[in-house]
Amino acid sequence: MTSLAAIAGGGDRDGPAAQAGAWLARLQADDVGEAEMLAFDAWLDAAAGHREAYAAALSVWHEFGAGAEAVGEELARPAARKPAQSLTRRWMAGVGGLAVAATVTLALLPALTTTTATYATGKGQHRQVKLTDGSTVDLNAETRLSVKISLFRRQVALSDGEAIFDVAHDTRRPFTVQADGRMVRVVGTQFDVRNRSGDVTVTVARGKVEVRPSAASDQAFMLTRGQRLQVGRTGRAQLAAVDPSETFSWRAGRLVYRNQPLSEVVADLNRQFVQQIEIGDPALAQTPITGVIVLDDPATVVERLSLMLPIRSVPSERGLLLLRK
Amino acid sequence: MAPARGFERPGDESPLVRAFFEKRENLVLFLAARTRDMATAEDLAQDLYLKIAAQPPGDVKSPSALLYRMAGNLLIDHVRSRQRASRREGQWRMDTRVAGAEEEVAQEPAADDVVIGRERARMLAEAVAALPPKMGQAFRLHKLEGRSQAETAQAMGVSVKMVEQHISAALKNLTQKLRT
Repeated sequence: MTSLAAIAGGGDRDGPAAQAGAWLARLQADDVGEAEMLAFDAWLDAAAGHREAYAAALSVWHEFGAGAEAVGEELARPAARKPAQSLTRRWMAGVGGLAVAATVTLALLPALTTTTATYATGKGQHRQVKLTDGSTVDLNAETRLSVKISLFRRQVALSDGEAIFDVAHDTRRPFTVQADGRMVRVVGTQFDVRNRSGDVTVTVARGKVEVRPSAASDQAFMLTRGQRLQVGRTGRAQLAAVDPSETFSWRAGRLVYRNQPLSEVVADLNRQFVQQIEIGDPALAQTPITGVIVLDDPATVVERLSLMLPIRSVPSERGLLLLRK
Repeated sequence: MAPARGFERPGDESPLVRAFFEKRENLVLFLAARTRDMATAEDLAQDLYLKIAAQPPGDVKSPSALLYRMAGNLLIDHVRSRQRASRREGQWRMDTRVAGAEEEVAQEPAADDVVIGRERARMLAEAVAALPPKMGQAFRLHKLEGRSQAETAQAMGVSVKMVEQHISAALKNLTQKLRT
């Protein structure tokens, strides 16, 4: 039991791994005092290796917590008990302790490196990006987002545009999306976030998503499948039930509308095509549209629109001008 | 440090809020010692933020100390309510599930479930089985069966300090074995 005595004696001689284990064990108690907490805080900051060693111990600790039942079952099997080996292993752990500690640090380094990347699409472009954590992001046209993935979290900032997120399950690293101060926090799931000039919409196809309408607000919405939250620039939030497949249809080259004004439809179309559509009549802009628009080319799209509305189109400088029939 | 979870830092923040953002990463690591995963620790840190953000700005002698005190209290409340929930369910690990295959895990795990594969469970079990007997017993009682250190001490007939030392040594041993 000499190793125990060494840890009890303060641990300066022990490596960060032993100190991390000592701290994690100590923090399990209900009676941890303020001075001890501040000592822990100082220890974390004292050396880069401390934080890594503690994070490594934590991840093992959490894994045992998650798998407690399964591990207990495995231990109950006779095959799992190998007392004959333990002496050898103990001896090896003693001799090889330093080498093993070095390996742990090295193996952790890649995971600790934070990766940051920015992705953008222009008019008419769609793009699928596979993130290093296994998540997939589909970018709609005219979208800009940056992704930061570290050991502790996965953060996306959607500065403009729309994207569908298929998030890889990883409870150790929360996945969050920020759009104009609004926060989307994911619990493992597929969802669409749209941020067009500060109006943010979140639609969930699978799993659970938490949305905070503003930075200051302590109000949070927990959305599940088929729910959509719209948060305007003023922070006013509106919850609606939707068919997620409609929201996600842009990925398959379709736009689905239910009673949305023509101006919104045209704004969407102008992101999908280089050739721009203009509305010549303000009253026309407010006309509600319900239907599916297949995104092939502007002329065909306008042709189909003219079947839904009393409109005609004439060529204009930038593309097409819509007029009342 | 960048404000995490996307929250913008208000312009006229109080010393306490400022200290929170400086200490946030450390506070999460502190909280994670007793939560089931990092995400829950992040949630608790968020609760802490909401608490201090709601406080009128005033002079605080030692913001760090106050933050840790508040975090410690939040953590104890969290652990108690989780234990109550577990006891109600008549089992300690109501929220643990084992999947037969990794593919199943990737499919669509219920949102909050933490799942480990059977193969990994076997590795973890072997690592525990290879611990020195007393150390292994302390680890099983405390971590796998969910007893407090005091309850573990009573069951083993040793001091609480000794249990803490066993857990500490077990953690070092297991981390080295399982993280390489």
